[in-house]
Amino acid sequence: MSQAAAPLAGVRIADFTIHAAGPFATHVLSQLGAECIKIESKTRPDAFRKPHAVYGRMTAATFDQVSANKLSVRLNLKKPEAVELAKRIVAVSDVAAESFRPGVMTRLGLDFNELCKVKPDLVMLSLSSSGQNGPDSHFAGYAPLFGAWGGLGWMTGYSDGPPVEMRHVMDHSAGLHAVVAMVAALHQRRRTGQAQYIDLAAREVASAMIGDALVEASLGIEPVRPGNGDLAMAPHGVYATAQPDRWLTVAVRDDAEWRALLGVLGQDDVAADPRFASVQTRRQHQQELDALMTQWLAPCNADETAVRLQQAGVCAHVSWNMQDIADDAHLRARGSVTDVSGPNIPKRAVVGAPAQFSKTQDVGIRRLTPALGQDEDYVFGELLGLSSSQRADLEEREVIL
Amino acid sequence: MQQNGLNESGSLPLAGCVVVERSRTVAAAYAGRLLATMGADVVMLEPEAGSPLRKAPPMLDGGKGHSALFAYLSVGKRSVVCDLESADGQRVLERELDKAHILINDTPLAERIAQGLAPEAIDKRFPSLVHVSILPFGASGPKADWDGEESNLMHASGEGFLLPNGFSRELFPDRPPLKIYGHFASYQGGSVAALSALSAWWAVPEIGGQYIDVSVQDAMLLCGAFALQRLGDGSLEHRATRSFRYGGVFEAKDGFVELLTLEDRQWESLVKLLGHPAWAADEAWRDPLERSRRGNEINHHIREWMARHDVDIIVKNAQELGVPAAKYRTPADVVNGEQERSRGLFAPATLTDGRQADVLLAPYQFRCTPLQFGGGVPSLGETGQHVAAQEVTP
Repeated sequence: MSQAAAPLAGVRIADFTIHAAGPFATHVLSQLGAECIKIESKTRPDAFRKPHAVYGRMTAATFDQVSANKLSVRLNLKKPEAVELAKRIVAVSDVAAESFRPGVMTRLGLDFNELCKVKPDLVMLSLSSSGQNGPDSHFAGYAPLFGAWGGLGWMTGYSDGPPVEMRHVMDHSAGLHAVVAMVAALHQRRRTGQAQYIDLAAREVASAMIGDALVEASLGIEPVRPGNGDLAMAPHGVYATAQPDRWLTVAVRDDAEWRALLGVLGQDDVAADPRFASVQTRRQHQQELDALMTQWLAPCNADETAVRLQQAGVCAHVSWNMQDIADDAHLRARGSVTDVSGPNIPKRAVVGAPAQFSKTQDVGIRRLTPALGQDEDYVFGELLGLSSSQRADLEEREVIL
Repeated sequence: MQQNGLNESGSLPLAGCVVVERSRTVAAAYAGRLLATMGADVVMLEPEAGSPLRKAPPMLDGGKGHSALFAYLSVGKRSVVCDLESADGQRVLERELDKAHILINDTPLAERIAQGLAPEAIDKRFPSLVHVSILPFGASGPKADWDGEESNLMHASGEGFLLPNGFSRELFPDRPPLKIYGHFASYQGGSVAALSALSAWWAVPEIGGQYIDVSVQDAMLLCGAFALQRLGDGSLEHRATRSFRYGGVFEAKDGFVELLTLEDRQWESLVKLLGHPAWAADEAWRDPLERSRRGNEINHHIREWMARHDVDIIVKNAQELGVPAAKYRTPADVVNGEQERSRGLFAPATLTDGRQADVLLAPYQFRCTPLQFGGGVPSLGETGQHVAAQEVTP
């Protein structure tokens, strides 16, 4: 796979991001062809280079999705000379990205204003939990907290239960929105020659995910938490099937789909039942309807039923686990799931290209997780023009560490 | 934030970018919405009956009024009525695409040729256009003709199976898995569509326009990549077991709190927050693996403590001590939030019934050229179908 045949070929990123959301953003850019230089150090390794007891991982990760494609260099940013080298990397880049707590980049002498001195048309991203300003900007947070602050956690859950904790998808959604903004800013730079500073608060992405409920709230309406129900479709839900823990999701939009569903489930007689004659009446009798759906689907094979419902024009899908996804022919055919392997990495399924491009086709994973400092010959040597003796000296003095 | 003296123009990031949106799904509409927030001129080509999203819940005024979802998704766009089955409609399409840089299109595959929206035909007629197809399962692959609503797609991407975890799962272990509220997967699909559009547009000077095939399932899986990574590490995640060993959702005296400590120093701060209780004095707790092993015990103690305290005080004290904790805020809390107000997250918008609502502007800020709303929620064909038809009548 050639980087040159990808849409963002030629774009270079100085990547200071850590943890999940920020590295995901730069990873997506790298999948689209940008060259991403991850600036890290032995003293402050990113999460994937450390054991992670919370997830039961007792050693560093051998493969880390959000670090794939990236180049790695070491810089000990506690040393002023390392900060100067970081600035030189920024000076030859188009984009700088960071996800520290607000204030850290300023303390390091690497904030937007400082970096614009070496790169006047820089596009910079600061991704944080609550944003760069405001009374909560100092708040520490992880994905579950973004979801809680932003209102998404409150709106998610069983109608009669507590709010629900968001997980990595929340981090990655924040990262994805950051990428959209970064590429827009590149267009703006191309058009105007101007720098741009993007300030993304992950909690505000969580709020954007409940934008409709926030419109209601602004008009004094208290939004309902629908759980697995829907305010317009019926039946709509997640139902048990003959196999344990093999759930079937079904969403019926209109009367034609309702009749098609009854046909597939061998319940044509029910079409005459006035309780279920229209969307309105089905919603009025939702509990009875759900009880019937539960009864009808209980003896069914989930996978076969999903196929039959789809063939009849009804939206249905099995609630898939990651093994289903790793094995799926459709996702494999699209390249959205692909395999990687390496010297210390037995073959494994990973998420590949985010989209299929008809011309710039080389989108996706082209390199695995870099070793710490793996690309210093290219970055320090070729891009910055440092000699081997200069680099040895910098290493000796723990500037490169 | 200092403006750095670099930008005087105030022009928005995507000023000059013209987008045609043919949408009936949330994913396509959200893609257009993201581009509109950044200054693109987004034109919805709506069928004569209007976009189905105009009637999508939640509806204001007890179901009889206007759609809050449509308001959120379409603020700042324009609407042109365009019946693609008719010759007039085809002329409107041609006229709009002539001016456009990007087409966002969620027309099902089976209808594309009849509507003049087949990628080959578009590419031939508009070689510089970026044509983004966004469908539930994409436009290629064995399931390209499958249809899916949000709940189907949330579960087709693997995240639905993993929810809820933690407290909800403990309370209701036998209930079916649960999707994230609203249109989370569709929003990721829309984000990937917007990103793909902008990335392909970036490459237009080099290679011209192209066709991009985006799938909501793929986009949601992209965001759920970590669970696939865990599979590669040898662990098939399940909602029953992917909870954090301790921490999570807690019920306080007057609401719910999220609390999560991943690092040693945060544990020490948590013990301080709890007032150095006797149970926490045991030296064994210093070992993170021991804490993980006895997570339920820790949670039992935290739960008991939380129930006696107010949310706002818990969160304030926790954050001061460096313990990551947050209130589970309601939509009203968010709309009226001091943080959101100080950052200008919301801007007034005029709804189609003339009312003003505060609508979330965008989940990113461009500090050198701040974003702004360019108007309200468009009525159907607000530029006027007759005007549009006259313009193209030879």
